[in-house]
Amino acid sequence: MGKQMTEMLKGVLEGIVLAALSRRPAYGYEITAWLRDLGFTDIAEGTIYALLIRVEQRGLVDVQKVASEKGPPRKVYSLNALGRTNLDEFWGTWSFLVERLEQLHEGGMER
Amino acid sequence: MTPKWIELVTGSLDDKKRYRRYKARIAALPESYRTAVEGVVRYLMYTGPGDGDQLMTMFDDLADLFEQSAADGVPVHAIVGDDPVAFVDTFKQNYGQGGWLGKEQRRLTDAIARAEGQDAGGGAAAGGGAAAGGGAADDDVRRRGGGADTGNETDAGDGSGVSR
Repeated sequence: MGKQMTEMLKGVLEGIVLAALSRRPAYGYEITAWLRDLGFTDIAEGTIYALLIRVEQRGLVDVQKVASEKGPPRKVYSLNALGRTNLDEFWGTWSFLVERLEQLHEGGMER
Repeated sequence: MTPKWIELVTGSLDDKKRYRRYKARIAALPESYRTAVEGVVRYLMYTGPGDGDQLMTMFDDLADLFEQSAADGVPVHAIVGDDPVAFVDTFKQNYGQGGWLGKEQRRLTDAIARAEGQDAGGGAAAGGGAAAGGGAADDDVRRRGGGADTGNETDAGDGSGVSR
């Protein structure tokens, strides 16, 4: 994944994480694995973990600690009502951006 | 039982216990994970949060991440990615920032607010506008031109020509 892709992803990764959790509750490793399957091969496990902590602090997800056979208990994150509202806003902003950039793309530099 | 006053001299004993527990967790990690955590922590000591409680929470979260990843067999490279600095910078944002950095950022915001007041000439209109914004004063300063207080904004904007 190129530098440009990494830079662009920075701004939307939190939204991507919320979108992943809107499908079903998950823990960090599952989300990273899911993103890998989507083709985001270079996203760091730790970055996803950091974003999960952030959305937890902002009250967008509920957290349940589940015992695991190996390692410490896993935190399973699920999107709550506030998180859903936030995700809707994210998609709204995203659509706006895509629409404007598409205009720019098609219209070239003419004014 | 240790008397409470001793904590005045030594710092909180709870924090100390918490720190020792964290150190033990790190010591129990496989070697490569331990090396990575120590590298991350060293960088965080210089650039991380200024608040002791936040610092401890951060250390605990870091230990969680590396313990869990070791258990899942996630290699160190996959934890921190191609750019370890980018990872740590994202990670540390969750725990507030170094005391000096927050202070300098407030200073910068204040200086720009002062500059905008000077640009507005009489200053009365712009100053009033910012104050009327109420509650989230910081945000108002940052999002100038976002169009919260209508009338004053356009006047000031036309006059200065700085904002565009």
